[in-house]
Amino acid sequence: MGFVYLAALLVSLFGMVMLDRRFALFFWRDVPRAAVTLLVGVVFFLIWDVIGIDLGIFFRGETSFMTGVLIATELPLEEVFFLTLLCYLTMNLLAGARLIAAVVLDRRTDEATS
Amino acid sequence: MTYWAVNAVFLAIVAVVGLLALITARVRGRAARASSSAAAVTRRRHERLLGVGIAVGVLLVMTAVFDNVMIGIGLVGYDAARISGVFVGIAPLEDFAYAVAALVLLPSVWVLLGGPKAPRAPQAPRVTTATKEARS
Repeated sequence: MGFVYLAALLVSLFGMVMLDRRFALFFWRDVPRAAVTLLVGVVFFLIWDVIGIDLGIFFRGETSFMTGVLIATELPLEEVFFLTLLCYLTMNLLAGARLIAAVVLDRRTDEATS
Repeated sequence: MTYWAVNAVFLAIVAVVGLLALITARVRGRAARASSSAAAVTRRRHERLLGVGIAVGVLLVMTAVFDNVMIGIGLVGYDAARISGVFVGIAPLEDFAYAVAALVLLPSVWVLLGGPKAPRAPQAPRVTTATKEARS
């Protein structure tokens, strides 16, 4: 039983929540809308995973970094957290990059006018 | 069925959702574009393009790094017969389909869930009570 991977995922997810809170990126913009978006994403990727596993394309590695808890054949518990992180990161990134883009463009206009 | 064949199916679904979201955003943005200056519209477009560019770049690089780590420490394995054999480090190129799908699917769902842009509802009643009070 290893909790290294799960712990790493939870720490990363905590980081996502903090960034979201600080910059109002996803849940802090609209809670129900973010919740449904995240759920749709995670379910979609889980189906993708299950089909990939079913066809024997990829499989869970034998490692001591994972808890060994499976939610389906060859589908570790950690995968749900990984997919949640992927989806949360994607939405935070898109919103955060937009903020950065605004700052960059503002600076460029300031330089052009000064 | 190969990894690419499965990815093609899921990426096709994502493409359809993405297209729906693009059309929806276009229709909804019509009023906003008509009421704002050409400079403001251009500025918003540049902001959006640059933002998406940054996000795509960062997510693809992060996928390359973390996928390599995850495969390297043995969290996941692949059937060599079902992958194309094109790798980024030790990560199969097919794995990047997840990142690409996330970048299109999630913002699309977000857009489709949002209603048409309307003035904020909570402010309306406050204004009406204020005017009523002023009248009386």
